[in-house]
Amino acid sequence: MSGKETVLAKTVWKYDEKPPISRQRLLGRMSVPNLLIYGAGSIILFIIICGIVPGFIAPYSPTDMAYDIMAAPSFAHPFGTDYYGRDVFSVVVHGSRDSLFIGVASVLFGGLVGGLLGALAGYVGGVVDTFIMRCIEVLMTIPGILLALAIAAALGPSLFNIVLAVSLSAVPGYARVLRSQILSIKGRPFITAARSIGTPGWLIFVRHVLPNSWSPLLVMATIGLGTSILVGSGLSFLGLGIIKEIPDWGTLLSQGRGYLTVAWWISTFPGLAITLLVLSVNLMGDRLRDKIDPKQKRA
Amino acid sequence: MSRVKKNWSASLLLLSLTLILAITGCSGAGNNSKSPENKEAKASNTTGTATNKGAEDNGQPVSGGELTFALAGAPDTLDPHRNGWATGARVFRVIYDNLVVLDSDNTVKPWLATEWTVSPDGKSYTFKLRNDVKFHDGTPLNAEAIKYNYDRAINPETKAITARSLLKYYESAEVIDEYTVKLNLTTPSQAFLRNLTQPQVGIISPTAAEKYGDQYGHNPVGTGPFKFVKWEENVGVTLERNDEYAWGPELVANHGKPYLDRLVFKVVPEEATRIGSVQSGQLLAADTVPPQNIAALKNDKKTHIYQVNTEGLPFTLFINQSNAPWNELKARQALQLAIDVEKIVKTLYLGTYDQAWSSLTPGTFGYDASLENGIKPDVDKANQLLDELGWVKGSDGIRVKDGKRLAIRYVEGSPNREKRQDIASIVQQQLKQIGIEVNINITKDIKVVVFENDDYDVYGNGQMNPDPEGLRTFYHSKTQNVAGKHNLGSIVNENIDKFLDEGLVETDPVKRAEFYKQAQQEISKQAIIIPIYVFPYTVAASSKVVDLKFDTLGYPLFNDLYLKP
Repeated sequence: MSGKETVLAKTVWKYDEKPPISRQRLLGRMSVPNLLIYGAGSIILFIIICGIVPGFIAPYSPTDMAYDIMAAPSFAHPFGTDYYGRDVFSVVVHGSRDSLFIGVASVLFGGLVGGLLGALAGYVGGVVDTFIMRCIEVLMTIPGILLALAIAAALGPSLFNIVLAVSLSAVPGYARVLRSQILSIKGRPFITAARSIGTPGWLIFVRHVLPNSWSPLLVMATIGLGTSILVGSGLSFLGLGIIKEIPDWGTLLSQGRGYLTVAWWISTFPGLAITLLVLSVNLMGDRLRDKIDPKQKRA
Repeated sequence: MSRVKKNWSASLLLLSLTLILAITGCSGAGNNSKSPENKEAKASNTTGTATNKGAEDNGQPVSGGELTFALAGAPDTLDPHRNGWATGARVFRVIYDNLVVLDSDNTVKPWLATEWTVSPDGKSYTFKLRNDVKFHDGTPLNAEAIKYNYDRAINPETKAITARSLLKYYESAEVIDEYTVKLNLTTPSQAFLRNLTQPQVGIISPTAAEKYGDQYGHNPVGTGPFKFVKWEENVGVTLERNDEYAWGPELVANHGKPYLDRLVFKVVPEEATRIGSVQSGQLLAADTVPPQNIAALKNDKKTHIYQVNTEGLPFTLFINQSNAPWNELKARQALQLAIDVEKIVKTLYLGTYDQAWSSLTPGTFGYDASLENGIKPDVDKANQLLDELGWVKGSDGIRVKDGKRLAIRYVEGSPNREKRQDIASIVQQQLKQIGIEVNINITKDIKVVVFENDDYDVYGNGQMNPDPEGLRTFYHSKTQNVAGKHNLGSIVNENIDKFLDEGLVETDPVKRAEFYKQAQQEISKQAIIIPIYVFPYTVAASSKVVDLKFDTLGYPLFNDLYLKP
């Protein structure tokens, strides 16, 4: 039946004078927010490529201390050189890997742990719910950045500890969102229907509850990515990051700080990279939320 | 849609806020400085001498005014005997006087003591004291007070560290009469007299020490040119002129009371703020100037840079010989040849720090200048030496022998003091060329990692010291401060031990210097260490500040200082 309708509609369009997409809608696609999204998308894509194959993009080796010390940005060194005589552009390109890794890994880890706890609390309910949520609430009373700082300071600087610190501070948010989502789905008639025909609990959870409740988590994770990158960079900036041959952006920013008055480019460009990436990821996250959240859908 | 906009504008707001902050931070109160007539003042900068003269002053010193002096670190205590950090000593150096003073020509001159005699066996020193000296609280200075001080410093209950090592061979004191005191030593020590010049063995008021007990560090009372007023934690220390002061040492020109009314030390750890506040005229002086700012400050007519190389042991990389293959001379020589110290020092300090060539710094008694320019970096030869030892480069360029990678655990402290972490980064790249992997361990807990766990192959350290006897703590085999087993470099060398032991007791200065020269040569020949830089104490001061002086260890002296009106 529906097939017939489509055919019908197509025939109508075929013989109609009007184009399938109105000029207004075409302009709408090119509007400022849309351009921003395309811009943000290409920036994220470029940084991801930098993170995966930095060698193809960076013109020099990031550890090569062979150039003039603190040379201003020029054609040969677009971001200038630092106090070791390294090419800042190459260092920033190579540094993207750790910054991205910290962001993505801590979102995945935090989302997984938080989601699991939230799902357990929401679906099982009862004592389990009470216990988990009280623990989560305790965790929530500590400000996120403070918690991350405390963990990173206590465990010492390493890549894994930073990921742990950043993700743990995000766990309560994920847990609460998924729990409330599951609670609202759990009471829907189709779940009751599934239960009434004897579907086992775990199957209902996997087949019906989870698919219907995790989309807000996706939005949260995208927006959380920006925050995670920022918190990760913040920890590195404060000296709790990893000291490696090729430092991440937060460490670069921190190390170049003392040279701001004589060689502004050493810390400005890593800082700009952080800003651009976080801004782009946030724009993407906002757009994703608009798409998914029915209440904010435009006419 | 609306969310996107909100976020966008929020970030714009943030960006502009940061910009505003940056701009105001830079210009900060620039109009505060009211010194148009200072334009003719020439920025002179003399290096390496203890008597830095400030601006060309063509007038008489002017009394009055307040000097604000920014310190990079907060003082740990103002109790000299309990002090461990130089930043504390810079403050209390002006509160206390010593028995004797180390003059700029490295000889010991009278201060609170007018004269002294040494017994023929070198084991006792008899000092005659000035009879006109009073502490800030009115207590008279006498032989009893001197005895009280040194006994207190070596008393284990005082928990002194630096002071105790300075008084290592001090045994007891005898009060001969009111103004004569005899100090007895366990072993004759030629370092003893020089050690008595150090701020950590400054003379404190016995009355105050008894009165305040453990709180004495916050209520210091000395005989020095400045009196303690108040100490606000992490803000600063305020001192005022001691009007009765009339016993200044020969090191300074003004033996009477200082010209300044007040001397205020402020704690400003952030480099940019510290230097910026001198440039803008908010503060009159700031210490520990980062090398990258020195050039700009030198060219600024409103500021001078003072730079004094400190005596003692330079910043030196110690190679831990208790771990193979560093017990082998050839392996250590490979490090010595592969680490291009000249490049490190030029790159990081931009020509403001001097490269160190020996285990002592130039100016220290017994320094061997013949070692200068003795080692030229030679990567090929370094590679060859490691080849000879059987270390073969693997596919990733790192050498392997018997399945073991040639790796160095390089331990460095945090924060990045004097860019020492950056030294580690450069060494890492330089040693990669000869197939050595350097794993840098940055830790806040040097005491545990290095001195308790012995978990390092390379660790850098240095020490300000008035006498080459300071070498003992680092090079004598009897020093076992790492896990109770060995010294920093795990050095066991009979020749070095012998030179240091003989240098300690030799009374003829020429012969004594010779022992220390031989010790330095042996240390260099055995490739035990890699000396890196000589630490200069740097101060940036407004050109209004005239005649800021320093002693040989870089402690600032404020006796002659006055402010141009």
